[in-house]
Amino acid sequence: MNRYFDRVHKGIPIDDVEIIDMHAHLGPYYNMHIPDCSAESMIKNMDLCGIDKAVISPNIGLSSDFVSGNNLMLQTIKSYRQRFYGACIVNGNYPVLSMRELDRCFKLEKDVVIIKLHPALTRCKMNDKRMKPVYRFASEHKLFILVHTWLDEDPYGNQDIFAEVAKEYPDIKWIMGHSGGPYGSYKAVEIAKKLPNVFLDIAISMRPARQIEFLVKEIGSERIFFGTDNPFLDPRPQIGRVCLADISQKDKENIFSKNARKYIEF
Amino acid sequence: MINENKYSIREKLKFFDCNCSIGRVVYPYLMDVFSVEDLIGEMDTAGIEEALVYHTVAKDCHPFSGNQLLIDEIENFNRLYPAWVVIPHYTGEMPEPKILLKEMKKNNVKAVWMYPSEKYHSFSISEWCSGELLFALENARIPLLLNLDSVTWENIYKIVNNHRNLPVIITNCGYRNNRYFYPLVEKYKNLFIEISWFMGAGAVKDFVDNFGSSQLLFGTQMPGYTGTSAVSLLTYADISESDKKAIAGKNLKSLLKEVCYE
Repeated sequence: MNRYFDRVHKGIPIDDVEIIDMHAHLGPYYNMHIPDCSAESMIKNMDLCGIDKAVISPNIGLSSDFVSGNNLMLQTIKSYRQRFYGACIVNGNYPVLSMRELDRCFKLEKDVVIIKLHPALTRCKMNDKRMKPVYRFASEHKLFILVHTWLDEDPYGNQDIFAEVAKEYPDIKWIMGHSGGPYGSYKAVEIAKKLPNVFLDIAISMRPARQIEFLVKEIGSERIFFGTDNPFLDPRPQIGRVCLADISQKDKENIFSKNARKYIEF
Repeated sequence: MINENKYSIREKLKFFDCNCSIGRVVYPYLMDVFSVEDLIGEMDTAGIEEALVYHTVAKDCHPFSGNQLLIDEIENFNRLYPAWVVIPHYTGEMPEPKILLKEMKKNNVKAVWMYPSEKYHSFSISEWCSGELLFALENARIPLLLNLDSVTWENIYKIVNNHRNLPVIITNCGYRNNRYFYPLVEKYKNLFIEISWFMGAGAVKDFVDNFGSSQLLFGTQMPGYTGTSAVSLLTYADISESDKKAIAGKNLKSLLKEVCYE
């Protein structure tokens, strides 16, 4: 019997392992109703299932104004120490301002821990030359960049472009957001096998059967991060997906937080 | 540490999944799961007791062939209940509604799927094409399952408005749809939402707070998708245990009990 079966089925929060959500957001969004999108409601939902910490990039910074997004991120991580950590959002259409934001956020706040890039929403290709200063900054500081990647249909940040840039900047630790989308797993593991600086995150709305098992089998659990997309997506489904997966307890612990803790001081 | 006494009164929910299939698909992904045994295995992994199933051949090739395969293949599995895929009868590919319902009764089929739109079975769900079939289903209170990628909200509105006694279950209803269906759910008690993709943060609780739990149904899209996510979406939801039980299975059981073929 799976160790977590009863806990998940009785709705008891997971408390025997730390859970760090490496892919979360904050706030409302233009094309959907999100009932629980405030910091307080996010924490309430995290507590209900046992998520300890989340790295956030506010939605306003993704589809609208990235500086406002970073302001909200900074304010939120100060208000909720030990629960929220920051992802500094950059936008390739504003190369000078993006550099200012990186300087500002990483200097101001020790709990800003990664960079967030959303090529599809900014419509700036990941390999656009305007992104180079950002990548030089990340290389110099050996930072993680979390990139939204989504199948071949995304001309701005698909997995091929992701792989090309990740190869060009080996000092950056690249997180392939959503592992390339629901049907991107084959290519995701192919890229991760070739590039040791590539990490996968499991945040996704469409969850093919046995996807966690597949990723672990192909590349091991050491480069897979737990992520939820909260509050775009409810964080609760991801708990069942990992807890009830047919992988070892060690693999679950790696995914839930050990991998993140290996590289980032939370 | 968690105070486990707080949770000691909780019992395992009995899950009855309204959105499962058996049958091979043209584009398998990650693993080849198609048989009844495969589905049962996925149900056991997730902890799901029962399921309403259709056959992929009925959806991806032809209803007539797939519906018969379904009956044959699940015959010895008492955890699975058949749902047929149906189309209007005018081309002679499907019996007239009266005959169809007799066949359904004979095979204990208490729910149907329809796949209108060019993407699937290329017929109109409007009254001039599907009205006769919809009226027959309505008279028998046979739940109609509609995948959201095969119908528009405008058409869903027309169906629930024209057929007030027809239970209409919208499946694969993603997290970006609340603004469409909130006004419909409030007005039409014959409209139900299946939760496999209903995953915006706090969506289940907000739905229950606004409309109660009677119009939400548990579903997973197994075996192509994992059932584990939908399970924990519900078990960790911030709603009462009775609401969880209703969504997990009681609501679907009630709908099936109300089916009356005559």
